Amino acid sequence: MTRKLLTALAALAVALSAAPSGAQQVYKIGISAGLTGYAATVDRGWRDGVEIAAAALNAKGGIMGRKIEVITEDNRSEPQEAVTVYRKMISSDKVEIFLSGCVSAGNFAGAPLTVRAQIPMVLCSILPQNPDHVKWAFSTLPPAGFEVATRLEYLKGKTQIKKIGVLHDPSPYAVLQKNIAEKTASNYGLELVGIEQYKQDDADLSVQISKMHAAGASAILKIGLGGTTLTAAKNIKQLGLDMLMLTSIEDLAVFRPVAEVLGDKFFFVASPSQVYDALPDSPMKAEITKFLGPWKAKYQDRDPNWGARGWDAVQITAKAIEQGKSFEGARVRDQLEKITGFQGTTGVYNMSPTVHQGITVNPFLLASIVGGRVIVVK
Amino acid sequence: MTNLPAITSRDPLRRGFVALPWAVACGMLTYAFIAGGYFVTVMSFAMIYAVFVIGLNIFMGTAGQVSFGHNAFAALSGYTSAVLTATYYWEPIAAFAAGLALALLVALVVGWPTLRLKGHYLAMATLAIGLIVYEIATQWQSVTQGYMGISGISPLAFWGYEIVSERGKLFALVLIVLLASLAAARLRASRFGRALAAIAGSEDAARALGIDVAHYKLAAFLVSAAYAALAGSLFVHVVEFVSPEVFGLHMVVLAFTMLYVGGIGTLGGPILGAVIVSLLPEMFRGFKDYQDLFYGAGLIILLIYAPKGLAALSDLLPRKGRA
Repeated sequence: MTRKLLTALAALAVALSAAPSGAQQVYKIGISAGLTGYAATVDRGWRDGVEIAAAALNAKGGIMGRKIEVITEDNRSEPQEAVTVYRKMISSDKVEIFLSGCVSAGNFAGAPLTVRAQIPMVLCSILPQNPDHVKWAFSTLPPAGFEVATRLEYLKGKTQIKKIGVLHDPSPYAVLQKNIAEKTASNYGLELVGIEQYKQDDADLSVQISKMHAAGASAILKIGLGGTTLTAAKNIKQLGLDMLMLTSIEDLAVFRPVAEVLGDKFFFVASPSQVYDALPDSPMKAEITKFLGPWKAKYQDRDPNWGARGWDAVQITAKAIEQGKSFEGARVRDQLEKITGFQGTTGVYNMSPTVHQGITVNPFLLASIVGGRVIVVK
Repeated sequence: MTNLPAITSRDPLRRGFVALPWAVACGMLTYAFIAGGYFVTVMSFAMIYAVFVIGLNIFMGTAGQVSFGHNAFAALSGYTSAVLTATYYWEPIAAFAAGLALALLVALVVGWPTLRLKGHYLAMATLAIGLIVYEIATQWQSVTQGYMGISGISPLAFWGYEIVSERGKLFALVLIVLLASLAAARLRASRFGRALAAIAGSEDAARALGIDVAHYKLAAFLVSAAYAALAGSLFVHVVEFVSPEVFGLHMVVLAFTMLYVGGIGTLGGPILGAVIVSLLPEMFRGFKDYQDLFYGAGLIILLIYAPKGLAALSDLLPRKGRA
């Protein structure tokens, strides 16, 4: 009886030990995304881009023969919830890489866990501040300075404006841009006469706008996501001010009503995928074409910007795995650092041990909406 | 207001009702220890919130006051711990002592005038404290890093012994919760606790009995602020990161939910509420987009069928021998 029991247990142990090898046929990507909360629009786009890229790779047999499985958990755009979902995906789901969304604080809070578990992250957000955490984190986000430079170059080269104001929300990425504008405006012959902050849920920005106008600003650099862009546009019109508004990158669905309010006084920073039709033939356009096919088939006219970066994150990951011929976390991390000249939908990625925010050449364009069509401002 | 669990009842059904939520809570904690994984993180957050809610229960449950601003004291202590350990490399215990002192000082300064207010006025004043501290956390970027948050905070450590493992952290947190709960029970049974109960019943009647109402209310406010400060400091050392959202209005809403689901004014309510409310969203995580819907429905059902909280479940049963 005992011998039979032991034999049965041994057989069970063999069966169980064999099970993981079957499970290894899947490569698990984890996404901590703000599917609800302030980052919902952006992070849902990012997640959908990752899923479309995973489906496209799976249709070709996956990465080195392993199919990709995407596991997404909602962090509610809150750091505390992000810690829980990072922990869940590390310990329960056993994800092998994180391609997480744009909630910076959530990714910073989860970073100690991923570093301990030796799982690399390719992020939509800015990189963590702690050097030990940066070692395992990579970003698809172009440096904050590029969005600022695109607008300041236009003001310097195409207008007579000499005095500007900055209107920004308190998010980390917006504050980074504000700091850069503060430091670099003078390089473009522009004087920054006012810096005003607002909250994402503010319903009126006329006080901030009036102050900047009174200080002599003829253009506003609006930095931040959400409905406040339309609020600012309405306030400018209601106050009867002759001012330009140049906004940071955002969903096209937000910009269309803004363009109806401000007309030719409204400009925005656009990523290449948002102005696809206006792009000349190039390796970048070819990459965007690969992405837009499945994207448009599933989501029609939905803004492709955040999804395109999610697509890039998967392609970079696949490249790193194939380059190192390994799915192991530390090895993938090492290979991510070696990715150079990789053409993505948002730009060319050049990573290195000291550069984990791989887009080093400004890919952005300044755009406006005329007659409902997005056009690039030359 | 102050329901004691009927643990001495001989009615097996009643005893079962009393034991059920405790069995679930203890079962979940035991499961977390054995299974490990992310359940440890969920339970660790539950224990941190339990400390916060035990303190809130002294002020709201025992003393019968209202505060929407205790997140301020958690934030003050949490940020003090974060800055002193991450930037100035203090020991976590010393940093917590500094955070506690700061939180108590602010509670004293704020509590002195505001606790002369009653009802809605007191609630509004405390809400303002929470909002002001939140604004400071977002705006004083040279110290708090604003929404960037502070990382590189020391892990939980006691007298040089650093607790790195998740299970170790949970074990330490459970011990802290038990000590905090024991202290709250002793307080409640003391002269101080009886004075607070009298104030909760009627401030005028308490005053007529010779109780210095303002003095006792301030003392209750300081004690509960100390609990909040402990919870704030524990949070930053467990997560090793802090940003303002952690101590936002969300914290107040969650703590109130835990307090009412667990049972306001009861001894075990804060722990039960913290564990069950932390557990509910995880139970419904598989529902993805409908998670919040089921979570909300779960809370409504709990509050309909256990209006006095889980710790007072046995009150729902008819008592034997009653006329």
